[in-house]
Amino acid sequence: MIADRQISTARLTLRPIAPGDWEPFRACAMSDRFAYISGKQDLAGAWRAFAAELGHWQMMGFGMWAVTESGGDDICLGIVGPWYPAHWPETEIGWIMFEGGEGKGYAFEAAEAARAHAFAVLGWDTAVSYIDPANARSIKLAEKLGARLDPAAKGPSQGDLVYRHPLPEAA
Amino acid sequence: MGHRDIPELETPRLILRGPQPDDYPNFKATFTSYRARFMGGPLNAYETWMLYAAEIGHWEIRGFGMWMIHDKVTGETLGMAGGWQPAKWPEREIAWIIWPEKAGKGYALEATNEARRFFYDKRGWDGAVSYIDPKNLDSIRLAERLGAKIDKSAASIDGSDVVYRHPSPKDLRNSQLADGIALEIQHYIDPVYKVKGWAID
Repeated sequence: MIADRQISTARLTLRPIAPGDWEPFRACAMSDRFAYISGKQDLAGAWRAFAAELGHWQMMGFGMWAVTESGGDDICLGIVGPWYPAHWPETEIGWIMFEGGEGKGYAFEAAEAARAHAFAVLGWDTAVSYIDPANARSIKLAEKLGARLDPAAKGPSQGDLVYRHPLPEAA
Repeated sequence: MGHRDIPELETPRLILRGPQPDDYPNFKATFTSYRARFMGGPLNAYETWMLYAAEIGHWEIRGFGMWMIHDKVTGETLGMAGGWQPAKWPEREIAWIIWPEKAGKGYALEATNEARRFFYDKRGWDGAVSYIDPKNLDSIRLAERLGAKIDKSAASIDGSDVVYRHPSPKDLRNSQLADGIALEIQHYIDPVYKVKGWAID
């Protein structure tokens, strides 16, 4: 069910999020960095969200990739990739970069590779990113990836912006 | 531990399997209902899915978790039982939930007793607790039938729950309690006590 469990880019290795990524995930989820994701979490909420990230892989056969530096120490610098829980309107490419994973263009590099993988390997025929209107950095990244605001599409929560990614031939 | 490494357990009426994506609708029906009021619910659809995914992720993170309880004959799901220890849980918990329309048939007792036996015999647990909402009378009753007793000295999750401590493996082995549980389960399986022969006097 779970095929192609690794993606390599120029600088990064993407692998499925794993139990050992708990500490950097927890630190991020319990910080203001989660304000635009599902809100700053307490410890219980952070753990449940983390366990669900792992469960998403098992449920769907795909999920968020842990972003690590190739040839590095396998530390998870953020999670990027396909996200499609039940009741989600459309297949999403998501990204959450942790402290220390920012400012190097890693999110862009990882999201571009994860998106290409979603189209080529997972066979997606469309991809969107749901973004809080106040999340200026994510909007900037979506635009850098060539995604465009789709005002007709609905997000999972009211007020979400829906950015639609270009198809592979156009990207 | 990968998802497919979750062991299967078997009892007279039940098979306990790792939670599968296909079982999600049954889980959703209960966790979006009033039945889930002692388990942080009712939840909305997204929260329910995230919790179900977390039930599966729990196995990978902890190496143990909750099984889906299936009727051995029909294969339908009846509820969940097993071990549970997310962040903030002071100790390893034995937990259970039965779908509302399947309650009253002793399934929780049969499944939980087997899960506890597995953790004690195969995983070397030296004990376990159950954290129960003091208003959840059905669960309190089940904890008592399993031989668990209130432990006032043990830390609870957040002060709103009562800690029931299960008998240790040593206390359970060859005990009257274990015999009583087996007898009660047998009574559910064959509830009509049939007298064989006649009384002598």
